[in-house]
Amino acid sequence: MTQTGELVITRVFDAPRELLFKCVTEPEHLTHFWGPVGMSTPIEHITVDLRVGGVFATVMVNDASGEQYPSRGVYTEIDPPEKLAWTEPDSGMTTTSTFVDLGDGRTELRIHQTNVPPMYATPESQAGFNSSLDRLEAHLADIT
Amino acid sequence: MTLSDDDLDATFAALADPTRRAIVAHLTGGEATVNELAEPFDISIQAVSKHIQVLERAGLISRGRHRQTRPCRLEPDVLRAATDWIDGQRRVWTERLDRLGVHLNDLHNDRHNDRRNDRNHP
Repeated sequence: MTQTGELVITRVFDAPRELLFKCVTEPEHLTHFWGPVGMSTPIEHITVDLRVGGVFATVMVNDASGEQYPSRGVYTEIDPPEKLAWTEPDSGMTTTSTFVDLGDGRTELRIHQTNVPPMYATPESQAGFNSSLDRLEAHLADIT
Repeated sequence: MTLSDDDLDATFAALADPTRRAIVAHLTGGEATVNELAEPFDISIQAVSKHIQVLERAGLISRGRHRQTRPCRLEPDVLRAATDWIDGQRRVWTERLDRLGVHLNDLHNDRHNDRRNDRNHP
């Protein structure tokens, strides 16, 4: 985490970036991995309209309870096979995926998610939040 | 404790300011009056009071009712709910990428098997 309510996750995959880009933009791939553990994402509930302004919608289903978790995004940037971004209008959350070719057949996928509307993500908020929040969490663990 | 989206917005907005984060950090050491909280800053008591109001509206701190100084204290549950929410998002993506790795493995093995079958049945 680099700023308030922001999340960065990177992962290296042993696969070419063209294939990784297909995996995150084609329903027949997405259905295999989009749900976290304990959740499924049926292919009939995945909408991918791969153009800027197009809809990216999914419904994750809890395997145990059947509870459904719909989410709807709008693509804001599509630059295969390097970059993909969408915004969820309901929450203002933006997710940007960057695909870096490591030159040896592997690809680094970087997920950058801003969890709060951009108006809250001031430059000042970037400095120091991480360490202060870590400190607070450590402290909270001590006192509760 | 779970916060609504609006509550989360308010909490993250409140924490998006370095002065307010410093105030929250100070309060982890125990309750403090507005004057005590204003001491380290080169800004007016009035400005500090405004920051405190923002934190109070977000539920991150509360103020005593009885004493005249109305000391501020941290509400750890709200802060924890905000950090839990981020942790939840991180978990979803971590598990999602784990499964993507498994899926890529499956694709690789399928291709390998297809090639082998092609050789066996030309």
